[in-house]
Amino acid sequence: MTKNWQTVVTIFRKEIVDALRDRRTLLTVLASSVLMGPLVLLAISGLVASLESNAEQREVVVAGLGFAPTLKNYFERQTFTVRDAPADFEAKLRSATLTDAVVVVPKDFEAALQRGDAPIVEIVADSANQRSQASSGRTARLLGGFSRERATLNLAMRGVSPDVLEPVRVEERDLASTQTRATQITGMLPFFVLMAVLTGALNAALDTTAGERERGSLEPLLMSPTERWALVLGKWGAVASVGMLIAVLSCFSFLPGQWLLRSDTLAAMFQYGLREALLFLVVLLPFAAAASALLMAVAIRCKTFKEAQASTTVVMLAASLLPLINVFSLGQEAPWYLWVPALAQNLLMTRVLKGDALGIEQVAAPLIVCALIATVAVWFVARTLRSAAVR
Amino acid sequence: MIHIEHLAKQFNVPAAGRFGIGFKRAAAPRIVQAVRDVNLHAPDGRITGLLGPNGAGKTTTLRMLAGLISPDAGRMAVDGIDVAADTRKALARMGVLSDARGLYPRLSARENIVYYGRLHGMSAEAANARAESLAQMFDMSALLDRRTEGFSQGERMKTALARALVHDPANIVLDEPTNGLDVLATRALRDSLRWLRSPAGGAKCIVFSTHIMQEVERLCDSVVVVAHGRTVATGSVSELLVQTCEQDFEEAFVKLAFAEEEGAAA
Repeated sequence: MTKNWQTVVTIFRKEIVDALRDRRTLLTVLASSVLMGPLVLLAISGLVASLESNAEQREVVVAGLGFAPTLKNYFERQTFTVRDAPADFEAKLRSATLTDAVVVVPKDFEAALQRGDAPIVEIVADSANQRSQASSGRTARLLGGFSRERATLNLAMRGVSPDVLEPVRVEERDLASTQTRATQITGMLPFFVLMAVLTGALNAALDTTAGERERGSLEPLLMSPTERWALVLGKWGAVASVGMLIAVLSCFSFLPGQWLLRSDTLAAMFQYGLREALLFLVVLLPFAAAASALLMAVAIRCKTFKEAQASTTVVMLAASLLPLINVFSLGQEAPWYLWVPALAQNLLMTRVLKGDALGIEQVAAPLIVCALIATVAVWFVARTLRSAAVR
Repeated sequence: MIHIEHLAKQFNVPAAGRFGIGFKRAAAPRIVQAVRDVNLHAPDGRITGLLGPNGAGKTTTLRMLAGLISPDAGRMAVDGIDVAADTRKALARMGVLSDARGLYPRLSARENIVYYGRLHGMSAEAANARAESLAQMFDMSALLDRRTEGFSQGERMKTALARALVHDPANIVLDEPTNGLDVLATRALRDSLRWLRSPAGGAKCIVFSTHIMQEVERLCDSVVVVAHGRTVATGSVSELLVQTCEQDFEEAFVKLAFAEEEGAAA
């Protein structure tokens, strides 16, 4: 028995050395998985920061400013900077060179206002121009404020309480914590991490199975007096270790990535510390082990590296599509989600980002599934090994 | 000592076009009788040649001996150990250079050899020492610490041979070892095999499959001629010449190996 375990260690060490010497592939995978975290964060923070700066800009663009001194006065009292709209603002909105919605004031605005004729003020935005769309909501609220102020004044002059206009007070209360809101933005991170683990394990998985067949080194290997399970276990251990290494690196890459956050709000919302990184690993390490075994099981049936790459695409595709179930159900999580590989991991990592606690009952189901997949796949590889060597 | 008796093996070969796109209905799988009745006795301290034309069943026989394929019928024993019953124990007593002799390109020749030594249960030091002495024997010491990526055919061959012999097996099985070797390398290999046969080299039992007559004439103490999956003749080169009443071994071989076809044609 101890001899067999020594064999496992021998094979494990050889495969690790072999994988680590494949410098070019390794560097590509490492660079993409380690740099990925900071890069994704940077992209998100850039987006959020620009949205924020737009929101903080207390600016309103008006066409026909001269027709509405009352309105201008109101805007300025709200500490908004009022800008004249360019003459070709419609074309500029369409081409997204202008990112603010434009208020269009009619010529007879003041007179109509005095008469109480309710002049029509247009807010022009292009819904394909997302930033103008965002500023159009803000502008609408601003104009609503103006409307209310006028109404209140008119009522007060007639001795009516302004409360008559507002028989019901509406107040919104958002139950989402800051972290929950942040997952709307950072929700894609778990997906990136999952794919990094898979691509990391892929090359080693193919090299130890289909690659070994293609080189013609599997036949001599089976002519050594080793137990097949020891052989497969050593190989699987090595492949899983590579996958886990990538998992660790990509999980920890988010820690320094956080410092690069340009948006203060996002930095406050995206709380990813050591605790989160470790919880990510609790979820990811079993997944790396199971995925490695599965990739090996698919690849052992292929005669060449190329053929195996084509076959394993199915696994990669499944792993990237399954998490989408959660997206399509719009957050309505069903209990069986935890029993679906890739989907479960995605779900749990999202929960970690939301700041939810992970209980053993949540981690147990994916763990059982991973153990099952790994066992069946390793058994299959061990069973197929002999016929694979000869064919 | 290697002993093979009445070995037989058939394969189901999927009919051609089964996976292709065509209008014809797929034919039933073809049954190929790769080995019908192979008998071989290779004593210690002798080089036994397994001679046969392409497709005679040599590689299949040696793969069965190495436990890669289970035979349909027959018995194989290595130093009295039944291969089917105790494959691993039998493998431990054999050094097999198979048809597939792939090396790990990212490992050095030494690492390739030592890896197999470790798989045979040797300590790292012992395997390393053995790799060095084998490298000396095959004149490849300079290659030892180079990665096998970019090795020539002959260098690969030497490395694979050293790998097969790392655990100093009492029985050596070589499947067409001179394939792709130049004259000098072939000569060197012959010398090595002769030395391994001698008492000084350990009086190994060597089984050597080939389809090259000259190899057999120069090297083998006894010859087993295989054709169409059957052992058709056994004996030393001179015995076979006498048996077929020929002066030239090539003529004798053609007579022995293709007798059936000629008989059928007649």
